[in-house]
Amino acid sequence: MRFKPRFFIGGGLVAAAVIYLTTTAIRNTAEYYLTVPEVAARAQQLTGQALRVAGRVKPGSVSWEPSSLKLSFKLVAIPEADGTGSDTKSLAGIRKVNDDRQNTSAEFLVVSVGQPKPDMFAENRDVIVEGELTSGHTIMARQVLTSCPSKYVPASKK
Amino acid sequence: MVFIGNFALALALLLAVYATGASVIGARRKLPALVESAAHAMWATAGMVAVAAAVLWSALLHNDFTVAYVAQHSSTTLPTFYKVTAFWGGQEGSLLFWTLLLTVFGAIVAWQNRRADPVLTPYVFMCLSLVSIFFLGMLNFVTSPFARTVPPPSEGRDLNPLLQNYWMAIHPPSLYTGYVSATVPFAFAVAALITCRLDDAWIRRTRRWALFSWFFLTLGNMFGARWAYEVLGWGGYWAWDPVENAAFMPWLAMTAYLHSVMIQERKDMLKVWNMALIGLAFALTLFGTFITRSGVISSVHSFTQSGLGPYFVSFLCAVVGLYTALVLYRLPQLRSEAELESMLSREAAFLFNNLVLVGIAFAVFWGTIFPILSEAVRGVKITVGPPFFNRVNAPLALALLFLMGVGPLIAWRRATWRNLTQSFSAPAALGIAAGVAALAAGIGQWYVLATISLAVFVVATIGAEFGRGMRARQRTLSESAPQALISLVAKNNRRYGGYIVHLGVVMAFVGIVASSFFKVEVKRSVKDGQSFSVGGYELVYRGISVKDTTHVEEVDAVVEVRKGGRTIALLKPARLFYKREQQPATKVALRQTPLADLYVVFAGLDEKTGMATFQAFLTPMVFWLWAGGLVMALGTVVAFWPDVREREAIARALERRTYALDAGRAVEPLGG
Repeated sequence: MRFKPRFFIGGGLVAAAVIYLTTTAIRNTAEYYLTVPEVAARAQQLTGQALRVAGRVKPGSVSWEPSSLKLSFKLVAIPEADGTGSDTKSLAGIRKVNDDRQNTSAEFLVVSVGQPKPDMFAENRDVIVEGELTSGHTIMARQVLTSCPSKYVPASKK
Repeated sequence: MVFIGNFALALALLLAVYATGASVIGARRKLPALVESAAHAMWATAGMVAVAAAVLWSALLHNDFTVAYVAQHSSTTLPTFYKVTAFWGGQEGSLLFWTLLLTVFGAIVAWQNRRADPVLTPYVFMCLSLVSIFFLGMLNFVTSPFARTVPPPSEGRDLNPLLQNYWMAIHPPSLYTGYVSATVPFAFAVAALITCRLDDAWIRRTRRWALFSWFFLTLGNMFGARWAYEVLGWGGYWAWDPVENAAFMPWLAMTAYLHSVMIQERKDMLKVWNMALIGLAFALTLFGTFITRSGVISSVHSFTQSGLGPYFVSFLCAVVGLYTALVLYRLPQLRSEAELESMLSREAAFLFNNLVLVGIAFAVFWGTIFPILSEAVRGVKITVGPPFFNRVNAPLALALLFLMGVGPLIAWRRATWRNLTQSFSAPAALGIAAGVAALAAGIGQWYVLATISLAVFVVATIGAEFGRGMRARQRTLSESAPQALISLVAKNNRRYGGYIVHLGVVMAFVGIVASSFFKVEVKRSVKDGQSFSVGGYELVYRGISVKDTTHVEEVDAVVEVRKGGRTIALLKPARLFYKREQQPATKVALRQTPLADLYVVFAGLDEKTGMATFQAFLTPMVFWLWAGGLVMALGTVVAFWPDVREREAIARALERRTYALDAGRAVEPLGG
């Protein structure tokens, strides 16, 4: 094969730049993506770290103060085999990581200040909380993301 | 009715299978009539899919809830416009829509090429039909749009409120059109590889398809960003969500491809690279469809999980594997003799532009699949968010901006010092001056300064090109300035269309940088009559007004916008409540000007105290992002416009080939 140095020097330069940028950026911005039981199992280690936690909003735990934009709720594990809500399916791939059965009863208090309540937010919905784990099983959320499934289960089944 | 839909889809599948077989056998046994019948089968396939689509549309419009898809994505109270768009609002319908586009494009290709090149064409038909078979197979056996609900509900579940928006009505069709039309150049590339017709004929014949695809990918991405901006209510337009990345990556690959084919046309270089790029573009469109549907990567706006994932992965692997094998098999024939002569040449600038675009695509891909990779390798899901993508792509995007100024002006083969100083000294001086002026004006961020300098530099190079061309015409043909401008663009529409696109890219770039760096956000709770300020604006809360329909309840907060003591606008951000789903939603109020957008979200109302909470953003120059998108679209249309010289070049290329064929092995031309 004929060697074409100029092609390879140019290509090598750009490739090296991209790889350098990618690796340094990953080192500086990566966040763990965990489930509630996983966080509970390693709570000590994870304190003070930036996390993304997937869980379900515990019914009856939601408090929302519109005037201060303060949202707090309890985040619990998404049940293993859940056939009732189709919402869970959009967060598929999370449940299979979830081996830790002892901790499925774990729950965290999530506090979010300064963000409007997401439209899709409701009791029993699955959410992803981005934020930092502080001591005492509390997550200070930067952002609460709700998944928007294309299929709806009516909120109130009458 | 549903019976007709199912029947049409089954028939379409059979026809696609027939088209595949007939075109291959026709090509191998040299039976032109058989290849022609394959073309007819492709028309019939498109016809059958159109029938199935008509059945689904009719079911949506007639509220036929015996069809599960209608029951899940529509309701009796859904406005008619959204009943039409609900067609692509869910999984099965959007796949049917995709297949409709694919088979219609296949039919158009079959018609365009019915008398063309008898060697290449059958394999183009084969490839298009094979892709259709995959999608028709999905629709027939895995995820039927006509599945029944027993017993039928009396009322449907309605379309996702977030999708009940104008931009969401036009975003998916644009994106799908862009995705699907990328299949056409890909099919030609496959045919060229199979038949070993590796000259640039396949590129010339699909140039317009590639541009068409790029046009719709650009618009699709822009519409998606616009939708996110208007509907999601967080003040931004792009969050590097996997679904957004899925739409962005094919655009990057297609952009690279559109540039590198110019080098093959002019210099007969980069043949392997072009083959690789179009393969990449097609694979990325499949990958995009896959991640939006499989649920493998959790996204804020993905479809619910379905059984489609494994099928898509298998198809994607088969496509990538077979195509790679094909390229490797033809590698000896794809080698070109031409060598890059200098790093300071137009070829080199184009090559660098390509590498940077593919580099960005790679980084985006890596960030998107990183959770899966890290889970597979280390057993922990690790995600990267917007900070990752911004960090990696910001410097690469600047490099791209720089190359956009250099590429079109630098000399072919080897640039001399004279050429460089002549072309670039004035634009470079202007760019530096603009940067210095911005620094003096108090802008401190290096990235913003670099953007200003480079944007001025690129605009100056484009201006210089237009100026040179116009002056030449004015001098030699004594045309007036506007006349010269129009005929310059009309006579060289590919080139000047490209410059117009570049201008649009600069506008969008400036809009993105300004809106990211200088966004102001204010959150306030106020009582009726109280006010708060955002930037130079004063916002006064004037109470609420309620609108109620059977479909949705809307609570508007009336906000008076004042500046310099005068009322300049009345904004009505709202909270909506969709009754069918018991689902609240936010309606953003926007006041858009070229300088800055005022973006107001009604975050909540405290029933007890009567305090209304607002989140307001003042986002500078976001207008230029949308305007840039429109200019990009306009430039693409100019470049797309039929060009006499180009047609002659294609005719000449075909003629050359016919002679070459006559001299070599005898192949009978098809269809007269």
